Amino acid sequence: MEPGGEGRIVARGLTRSFGTKVALEPFDLDVHPGRVTGLLGPNGSGKSTLMRMLIGLVPPNAGSASVDGVELEGDGTRIRERTTYAPGEIGLYGELRGREHLDWFVRGREREARVRAREIAESFELPLERRVHTYSHGMKRQLVFAAAMAPRVRVRILDEPSEGLDPHKRSAMIELLQRDVASGTTILLSSHHLGEVDRVCDTFVFLSLGRKLATEHAEDVARRAKRLVRLEFAPGTPLERVAASLKHAKARAQGSRLVAELDSDDPREFLAEIAASRELGAPLSIEYGRTSLQDLYRGLYGVEEAV
Amino acid sequence: MARALHSLLWRGIAFAVVLELMLIPAVLYFPEFERHTAQLRAMAPLPVLRGIIDTLEEGGVFAYVTGQHFFKGCNTLGTAAAVLFAAGAVAGESHRGTLEIWLARPVSRNRLLSERWIQGALAVVLPVVATTLTIPWLVSTVGYELDYGPLLLSSVQQNAMLLAIYSVTFFLSTLARSPAGITFAMLFTTIFMFAVYLVERLTHWSIFRLTDVERFLYIQANGTFEWSKLSPLVAVIALSFVASLVAFRRRVP
Repeated sequence: MEPGGEGRIVARGLTRSFGTKVALEPFDLDVHPGRVTGLLGPNGSGKSTLMRMLIGLVPPNAGSASVDGVELEGDGTRIRERTTYAPGEIGLYGELRGREHLDWFVRGREREARVRAREIAESFELPLERRVHTYSHGMKRQLVFAAAMAPRVRVRILDEPSEGLDPHKRSAMIELLQRDVASGTTILLSSHHLGEVDRVCDTFVFLSLGRKLATEHAEDVARRAKRLVRLEFAPGTPLERVAASLKHAKARAQGSRLVAELDSDDPREFLAEIAASRELGAPLSIEYGRTSLQDLYRGLYGVEEAV
Repeated sequence: MARALHSLLWRGIAFAVVLELMLIPAVLYFPEFERHTAQLRAMAPLPVLRGIIDTLEEGGVFAYVTGQHFFKGCNTLGTAAAVLFAAGAVAGESHRGTLEIWLARPVSRNRLLSERWIQGALAVVLPVVATTLTIPWLVSTVGYELDYGPLLLSSVQQNAMLLAIYSVTFFLSTLARSPAGITFAMLFTTIFMFAVYLVERLTHWSIFRLTDVERFLYIQANGTFEWSKLSPLVAVIALSFVASLVAFRRRVP
């Protein structure tokens, strides 16, 4: 494989098994410079394995990858020198103070990284003089995030960076990510929070059981959202029968909701069809043009996921 | 690195202090030992122990001190220290969930592992050397003299044994997820080997034959190592270290 350019993440046929369990089937990935790609999927779908493989923590059984123009080879040291990584499972040296731990994280990086790490941690109001074993889970997560955001690198790989954070801290984290991306950094992140992924990512990669189910770009999702209409009806309305009979949309019933994907950008014909239906009463609410990441997720996995 | 170094520094100091605390009364007791060798031999319950007392009597203060410091002190306490320092090297990181952040640093695995191996090895070796250096002065307080040369060569032989135990434990640590099992297995093995040493018909199968008083007397008499007894230890150290590097390269968080 020809290595991708600076700031790019490329994977071709990346594969990994643990014993008889296939953690990742041959996997292709393209993350372009200055873009944010979100890996989405339930636990055990292979997100963390993919991220670990990209920075050399888990050697692939097959396939190749390059990050920031450097091919994945050996133990991936050259890639780790050019990227930062925030692990999903957090284990820290509890006996160290927060400040000491940050210093430990950024040792080997440029000198300014230490200052920036402390600034980021202080912006999260982390008590850096306290020992890490007294930190809550969310505080540990913020410490790791601060360490991953501090070095000046072109690529960051963040495994569930906001897991365990309260909404206020999560918003602060997203703002930081957005500023970082605006300066040209490429980010690959995984998350279970669709709202967060929705706000920050340009591209969504959906995984399940080690396989890529779909890749969606934010513009396409937004475009598709313009064709998505959700109507809430009174309980007991025969929505399944109506959904099957609609001519101007592909629709499905979800409890007391009718979710329709229109055949065109103009919803008027569809709404007229609904209004003309004798089996439907007046809708209780209508949603139109809203982002449909949750619908994508639901459609792919058949489950609701955290917002 | 500094974090692990700090931890090992304190452990090394503690190891040195305990070794010295065992050494001082042993040396001060030597005049008494010389006077009562016959009674001690009569009290010894095992033929092997009686043989050790004979060797100590024939070898004089050098045999007595190396027997006390190396054969008794280092082979017991030193073995425990070597096992404890090595068992947590990698398995300890895995056990407390810090393996991933340790491996994720922008440092090659060979360097990570080599640094850790060296830190632990120094924490084992330096206390043995440092306490050995106090022996000539200690024996002078009870009216005897000993040269540094044979004592330091003996400490090299002893350290080779401890490093061999350390390196095998270190290798097991690169494979394991928890240090407890390795610690128990290695301590059980070494205690078993010490027990074998005390059985007359089996004593030659014990690894501690490589660091008993006869080896140190050979060093004193010849001014050099008994290479056939040192080289197996060096080979074990080298092979275990290489095996650790290979295993660590394959290690996943």
